[in-house]
Amino acid sequence: MTKELENSFVELLEKHQNIVHKVCRIYTNSQDAHNDLFQEITIQLWKAYPKFRGEAKFSTWMYRVALNTAITLYRKSKRRVKTQDFDTVLFRIKAEEYDDTTEQQLKVMYAALHELNDIDKALVFLYLEDKNYNEISEMLGVSEVNARVKMNRIKKKLRSILNP
Amino acid sequence: MDELELLKKDWKKQESSLPHYKAKELYPMLLKKSSSIVKWIFIISIIELGLGIILNIFMMDDNFWKELENMHLKTVTIIIYCLSYLITGFFIYKFYKNFKSISTTDNASRLMRNILKTRRVVKHYILYVLISAGITGLLFFIFTFIYPPEGIELNPESINWFKIIAIGVFMITIFLLILWGIYSLVYGILLKKLKQNYREIKKLEMQS
Repeated sequence: MTKELENSFVELLEKHQNIVHKVCRIYTNSQDAHNDLFQEITIQLWKAYPKFRGEAKFSTWMYRVALNTAITLYRKSKRRVKTQDFDTVLFRIKAEEYDDTTEQQLKVMYAALHELNDIDKALVFLYLEDKNYNEISEMLGVSEVNARVKMNRIKKKLRSILNP
Repeated sequence: MDELELLKKDWKKQESSLPHYKAKELYPMLLKKSSSIVKWIFIISIIELGLGIILNIFMMDDNFWKELENMHLKTVTIIIYCLSYLITGFFIYKFYKNFKSISTTDNASRLMRNILKTRRVVKHYILYVLISAGITGLLFFIFTFIYPPEGIELNPESINWFKIIAIGVFMITIFLLILWGIYSLVYGILLKKLKQNYREIKKLEMQS
C-alpha cells in the first residue's frame, strides 16, 4: 500500500481514535486487553481502508469495523485472566458533579453493562453514542423495530437492577 | 431521569479520560499481524485442504500400486482418486468464494453468517474425507481377506464374513469418531464466542 494511503489513514485514525477506544472500553476490562483490541481493530481498519470509498463518513465506517472486530473477530488472549469483578473506577472518571447516590447508580449500571452479552453491549454502546435506530439496525443487521424492542428490554433490565 | 440517559450523560464525559495515541505510535500498529479468528480459520482450513492432497501423493509409491494390483483394487482406486480430486477441487473453490465474501464492513449479522458459512464448507470437506476414508478402509479390509498378501493362506469357506465386516465397521467407526471428536473440540474452542453471538443476534431477530 502506498505511503500516501498510509498517511491519510493514520491521520484519520488519529483524529477519530476515540471511537475505537470507546469500543475497547465496552468490550474489555483490563488495560492489556484494551491495548490488544485496539491493535486488532487498527489492523482490521487498515486492511479494509483501501475499499473505503468515502460514501459513508469515516467515523460511521469506523464504528462498523470496530464493533465487528470486537464482536466477531477478536479472541481474548489466553495468557490473560478474566477479571469478573472489574474496577468501575478505572472504567470511568469520577464525576464530581454527581452526588453519592448518582455515583453509586452509575457504578451499578456500568457493572451491569459489562455483564451484558456482546450483542446487547453493541446496542447500548451505539445508543450511548447517539446513533439512531436506523443506524443501529444497519450496523447490526437487525430490523429497526427489533433493535428498539430489545433496547427497551435492556432499559427495563437496568431499571430493575437499580430499583430492585 | 431515564437510567440510560444518566449513563449517556456520564459516557460523554469520559472522552477526556480516553487514551490518545500520536500518529508516530499508530504507524507501527499497521505492521503488526492480525490474530483474528478469520485468519486462524483461513490458516487451519488451508492446512486441512492441503493435508489430504499431500497424504495422497505420498501414499502413491510403487509398492502401493503393486499391493493394489494384488488386491484387484487398482482400477477402483484410480476412479476413487479422480473423483476425490474433483470433489476436493470443488470444495477449494467453494471455500475461496466464501472466504472472499467475508468483509468487516458488512453488518455484524451478515459478517458472522459468512464466517460460519466459510467454516461449514471445510467442515463438510472433513466429513467427506472421513466418510470416504471409512468406505475405502472397509473396502481394503474386506479385499485383504478375499485376496490375502503373498505367503498367507486363508480358506474363504472358514471365514465368518459377518464377523469380519462387523469388526471392520466397528474399528473404522471408532477411529473416525475419535478424529471427529478432536476436530470438533478444536473448532468448538475457536468458534465458541462467534457462535454464541450469532445465536444472540438470531434470537434478537426472532423474539422481538
